[in-house]
This record gives sequence, structure tokens and C-alpha cells, in this order.
Amino acid sequence: MDAASVIPTLRAKDYKSDVVPVWCPGCGHFGVLSAVTKALAYLKLPKERVALISGIGCSARLPAYVGAYGFHGVHGRALPLAAGLKAARPDLTVLVAGGDGDGFSIGGNHFLHACRRNMDMAYIVMDNEVYGMTKGQASPTTRPDWAKSKLTPHGTGIRPFQPAAIALAAGASFIARGYSGDPGGLTRLISEAIEHPGFGFLHVLSPCRTFRPEQSDWKHQVHRSDKGPTDDPAEAAHSIQADDGMTLGLLYARRLPVWQPDNRATATTADLEGAFVV
Amino acid sequence: MSDRLSQRIESVAELLVHALELEHQSAECYRQLAQALAVHHNHAAAALFGLLADMSDARASAVMARAEGVSLPEIAPWDFKWPAAGSPQIDCDHVEISYLMTPLQALEVCLDKETLGREFYVLVASESPAAGVRVLAAEMAEERRERVELILTWIRGERGVATRVPEDLDPPNLPG
Ligand SMILES: Cc1ncc(C[n+]2csc(CCOP(=O)(O)OP(=O)(O)O)c2C)c(N)n1
Ligand code: SF4
Repeated sequence: MDAASVIPTLRAKDYKSDVVPVWCPGCGHFGVLSAVTKALAYLKLPKERVALISGIGCSARLPAYVGAYGFHGVHGRALPLAAGLKAARPDLTVLVAGGDGDGFSIGGNHFLHACRRNMDMAYIVMDNEVYGMTKGQASPTTRPDWAKSKLTPHGTGIRPFQPAAIALAAGASFIARGYSGDPGGLTRLISEAIEHPGFGFLHVLSPCRTFRPEQSDWKHQVHRSDKGPTDDPAEAAHSIQADDGMTLGLLYARRLPVWQPDNRATATTADLEGAFVV
Repeated sequence: MSDRLSQRIESVAELLVHALELEHQSAECYRQLAQALAVHHNHAAAALFGLLADMSDARASAVMARAEGVSLPEIAPWDFKWPAAGSPQIDCDHVEISYLMTPLQALEVCLDKETLGREFYVLVASESPAAGVRVLAAEMAEERRERVELILTWIRGERGVATRVPEDLDPPNLPG
């Protein structure tokens, strides 16, 4: 009998923790939480085999609201934490969650290397083009003319970070885009990112109700990809560059070697303790 | 993004799975809204969403009882045949929700969600190729109609009282 056959079927709500979200009512991140729990239920993953890792941000609170293992780490450092966990415990399903500030600004360097390292984990970036938690400053994905923050009263004047294009250039093996207001589609992409052998990068458009109310219009701007995913990086580069950034679906998936360190013990605990004796 | 319009529900078991999902998810959605508004001290709107959550739970139990003995198929979350991308009620993306919403606005959100739910059953009742499905869907649409009527009554009552706008003594530093 395999493990799955003895696990009673859990519903999505069984994967929620009893911590009540403090997100603003109307925040897009609620939709991501709902899709994460639905994906875990769909994949019938035992809660004790799943770990959610995050940094800091409104989005990074997600692990607290899921009834699996979780680690709410340091701003921008979710990916190295997750890499360490996956290296030590390859048997766990590791999900990483955070915002565009956490992942592309302070954590941008880790993002590049996580893409090329290709460890087996899913990375969900909830992009609202703003720092929500610190009350509405421009982030790397903010458009140059957004002038609603006192810190950038004339806009940033800087071209936005392109998550999908950069992930591709950094060697990612799975790139998808979802929208928090599309529960079925997002659940599917999260399930696929989890099942993908390697680093599953999922860019989720997740509106900030409070500091970017105009993002309610994303509902009308998103559209599904009219073609299937490609495994050809040149073709993916072309379609991602030509895209308006609102195309939803799996954009690129390719089997690439998954990095997983060899965990064989090379010394006993006693050997290690011996080395510290003065 | 409404690309599923042509998909038709063909068996009673399939309809029951859709109805269960609809009721479970609407209970989830209302409960989530109730909790979120309570966190932000909007207890009047929270109470209304809480009430709707309890009503959806009761409806889910009723559908469950109806499904007793029926072998229900497992449907992937993205394979449900909703008329639009999300379910009529699962689509809980809340853009219209605000922590300062009035009870009237909360009721209007509930009315929208209940109406969409009813439209789903009406569509199945008119489009399913199976007579048994059409009959059951029509019954479910009728139940929904009653709930829509109830909410309309509450809305009329709420329109009759002075607007209760919740106060925020420490508003967010919003963009100017
Ligand atoms: C080292 C460090 N620098 C800065 C901060 C302040 N800080 C907290 S969250 C955050 C950005 C949040 O934005 P994002 O990651 O996009 O998430 P959101 O809140 O929008 O979901 C910043 C700059 C911090 N906590 N730690
Ligand atoms: S500030 Fe924005 S991102 Fe943070 S909880 Fe509120 S709506 Fe969500």
C-alpha cells in the first residue's frame, strides 16, 4: 500500500490553518491562498510532507495561513532558506511564496541563481507592482510613470523588471503566469509548478486593493495564452518579449538537470564534536 | 474569459459535484470575508457574511444528503463546467470589497454572488441533454431564487435605515 492510499481525502479548507489572515479585505493574495490550498488538496499531499517558505511582505504571510509546515524568514531570503531545506530534506514538497519586492528587489540575486540551480521546488511570486506591507512604495515591477507614492512623486522613470524574461535568461526550467482572480486556472498552474521536476516559477498577478486600487482592472486585461507552452528557449524568449505581460498560462517548460546535493554523511556527530574540542 | 459556456453537465452525479463545490466554496468565500472584515473591525458587514456562510453550509449539507448513495466523480478544480472562468461564487476575488463597506454594500455583494449561482443552475436546467439533470437543476435554481429574494428583502430593509458607514480612526496613508 503506498502512502497516498492511506491518506484520507482532504478538502482545500482542510489545508488552511486556523490563523485568520490580516490582509486587507479585497486583497488579491486571498485568491492565491485559496488556489494553493486547492492545489495541495488536488495533489493529495499530506500536510506533514509540505513546507512553505517565505520572506517578508503581505504576500509572505501566506505560510501562516496554510496548515502545513512553514517558515516566515528574512526579507528577500526565502529562496536560499528553501534551497537549504530542500537540500537537507529532498522528500518534502517545498513551496516558496512572496511578493515582487521580496523576490525581485532585495531577493533579486537569489532569484537568478535559484532559476539556474533548478532545485525541485515551486516559487510563487504574488506581484502587485508595489510594496504593500510598507504602505505603497514602487517596486521593481512598477511602471515608470506610477507617481502615487511620496517617495517617487514623478514616477520611478525606470523600465520595470520583466520576471518571465529574466527567469528564462537565468536558465529557469518552468515559467508560468497566473492571476489571483482566476481560481481554477491558478490552481492548475500551482499544481503543475509543484509537479514539475525542478524549479517551477509562477508569476501571479495579485492586485493590491489598498495601494493600487486601479489594478481591479486587471480582471479585464488578463487573457489566456492562445498557444501551449514551448520547451524551446528561443521561441519562449520571442513570445515572452512580444507579450503584454497579461498572458496567463504555462509559458515555458523544459526538462533540465535538477540540482540536489548528495546528502551522504561524511562524518558522525561525534567526529564533528571532536573537532570542536579545544 | 468566459470560455466554458458550451460545456454541458450530463449526469446527476456531475451536477451534484458542481452543487457541492458551489456551496462549499461559497461558504468558504463568505466565511473568509466575514473574518477579514472582523479583523478590520467592521462587525456589521462581517455579521452579514457570517450569516451567509452558515446558510451556505446548511445548503452544502442538504446537497450532501441528496448525494447519499450516488457515486460522485472527482473533478479537477479547473475542470468544473462553470459558465465563466471561476465558479459563480468561488470567484471570490473581492475587488469590490472594502474594509469600510456598509451593510448595504455587503448585501449587494451577496446578491451578486447568489444571483450568479442561480444563473448557473438556470443554465444547466435549460441546457443539459439529460432530463433528470434538468429537473434537479431547476429545483436547485428555485432554492437559489428563494435566497436571492431573501437578500432582496434585507436590502430593501437596509435602504430604509440611515447609512452606517464604518469609521476608521487610523486610515492608511493612501496615495494622493
Ligand atoms: C532587510 C529589510 N529591508 C526592508 C524591509 C521592509 N520591507 C518589509 S516588506 C517590504 C516589501 C514588501 O513588498 P512585496 O514583497 O512586494 O510584498 P507585498 O507586501 O506587496 O505583498 C519591505 C521593503 C524589511 N522588512 N527588511
Ligand atoms: S496592503 Fe495591499 S498587498 Fe498588503 S494586504 Fe493590503 S491589499 Fe494586500
